[in-house]
Amino acid sequence: MPAIDLLSCCISFLLFTAVWTQISRLQATPMGNGDPAPTEQVKSLTVTLTMGERGYVLATSAGAQIEIPALGRAPEGGVQYDLKGLAERLKKLKGDFPDQAAITVAADDAVLYADLVHTIDACVGAGLANVSVMGAG
Amino acid sequence: MPIVQPGKRPAKRFQSSKIMGGKMHRHLRAGNVDLNVVPMVDMMTMLVIFLLQQFSATGEVLYMQKDIRLPDARHGQQIEVAPVIAINATQVVISGQKVADVPELEKDPSQIIAPLTDKLRDEKKRWDFIHQNDRDREKNWKGEVNVQADVKVPFRVVRRVLASAAEAGYGNINFAAMEEGGPLAAKGEKQP
Repeated sequence: MPAIDLLSCCISFLLFTAVWTQISRLQATPMGNGDPAPTEQVKSLTVTLTMGERGYVLATSAGAQIEIPALGRAPEGGVQYDLKGLAERLKKLKGDFPDQAAITVAADDAVLYADLVHTIDACVGAGLANVSVMGAG
Repeated sequence: MPIVQPGKRPAKRFQSSKIMGGKMHRHLRAGNVDLNVVPMVDMMTMLVIFLLQQFSATGEVLYMQKDIRLPDARHGQQIEVAPVIAINATQVVISGQKVADVPELEKDPSQIIAPLTDKLRDEKKRWDFIHQNDRDREKNWKGEVNVQADVKVPFRVVRRVLASAAEAGYGNINFAAMEEGGPLAAKGEKQP
């Protein structure tokens, strides 16, 4: 009987404190916030990913510029970005520059929060974890 | 009339009868029946284990709101305690207090939301007051803020929130997202 009492108390407590949704975070730094720029970034490659109406443009300070066109318009409005293509390009970039961890995402004003988060998620997934966010144009 | 127990009540002449009396008294058994609690304890143990596995403290940091549908993300980290800026289709809210209307923000050319910056500065002052005796106060200051926005909020609104947070000294932005596969993840919003 004490075991049942104990279990009942445990169940009540856990049910009261239960959280059925798992919320995670994707860390990013807004560009131009006055913080001193990391010195490592100067030494390594500068990668900028621009998000716009036409899709992604992945540019590096080495001179490479790759366009990843959008797949079309999403049914609910907004642009349907090619996340798979972006992930492949970012993985290739990471393979070429294994020490590279910084990327700047420059988003157009019309870009939706969901698309921004998915893009940052793709960057983090490819190993570019130091994401900075800024407005395009 | 006396109160009697419900059930079959044979006539007195049947009670002594070997044939009818036996049938009538066949179901009268001892009422002391033990309750088998072992399956119940098993079930409760399994329930406790399941609830312990599901236990998470993230609900203390971010509360799900009806008018905010979060996008899903695969590579998110555990969320940490920080001021929460919630953005839905109509308003910007920090710690449950409205600081701006989104339609008015669209008309305002300013890049910074002044009430939001003031509120974040207040939060920073509070943090400074709490940690005033810490030797490594400057090192421990992370400047983190959690942004919880609806999937359809445009970046022009988010950009102003980021600029306001940066103005107040919050340089690390945590974009809230649902862990992919979660029950409330915005399925269908993400392309394959």
